[in-house]
Amino acid sequence: MWLFRLSQTKMRLRLEALRELYKRYFGENTAEARGLRLLREWLSPLQREQFDVKGNFEVFGSDTGRRYRVHYGTEMNVHELDESGRVRMGWCFVPQGRLVAGDVMLAQKIALETFECGALSVARRFEPYSRCPSGVISYLPSRRISHPNRTNCFAACEPQSGWLPPGQ
Amino acid sequence: MPVQIVMDYKGDTRHHFDANDAAELAKAEARFKELTGKGFTAAVRIASGEVSKLNSFNPAAEETVFFPRLVGG
Repeated sequence: MWLFRLSQTKMRLRLEALRELYKRYFGENTAEARGLRLLREWLSPLQREQFDVKGNFEVFGSDTGRRYRVHYGTEMNVHELDESGRVRMGWCFVPQGRLVAGDVMLAQKIALETFECGALSVARRFEPYSRCPSGVISYLPSRRISHPNRTNCFAACEPQSGWLPPGQ
Repeated sequence: MPVQIVMDYKGDTRHHFDANDAAELAKAEARFKELTGKGFTAAVRIASGEVSKLNSFNPAAEETVFFPRLVGG
């Protein structure tokens, strides 16, 4: 029980820190601030509310209708959810170049909502390793799933889409 | 005034253009072709929070965002 309370406290502190960071960013003209402002402008009202409250937002894949949660960050921040909202799989795909978090998250939203299979075809899967009582997910990077195994997870996408990455 | 927003390490670079000016329109179209030719994805907002991928230049688009080619992390 005390472990659960500790996790709740940690989660609350983390959210408070995120909100503080968020407020500070909006008053600035840094690359990070501009990225977050652009992201917020492009989110749907529901996604914006989710992002303001929880620091993440959910999108539905354009090809499969699957639900994904996009967390604040620039890598390993996209999680596929199952029907009950539990994390099923992690997907790592980012735009080339060193973009700020807001831009990366917006690119991920657009990609999943407009060419889901194309985005996943270049993504690296990773396995979320555990879920704490607080809902915070931890990872075990050494258990990342290697590319050769990736083929199976595209079974749902490939027949529906002739998408190829640009330039191929 | 329509704007093309190109994501980069600075956050983004914004290119405004006058859709009624043929020269500016041509420049905007050339920028669109150059970026998408390099693998950038172009997208517009079609409703509040809904997005659509652009495959060709749309002079009527008020705000077009471009992001670089996606790669596995």
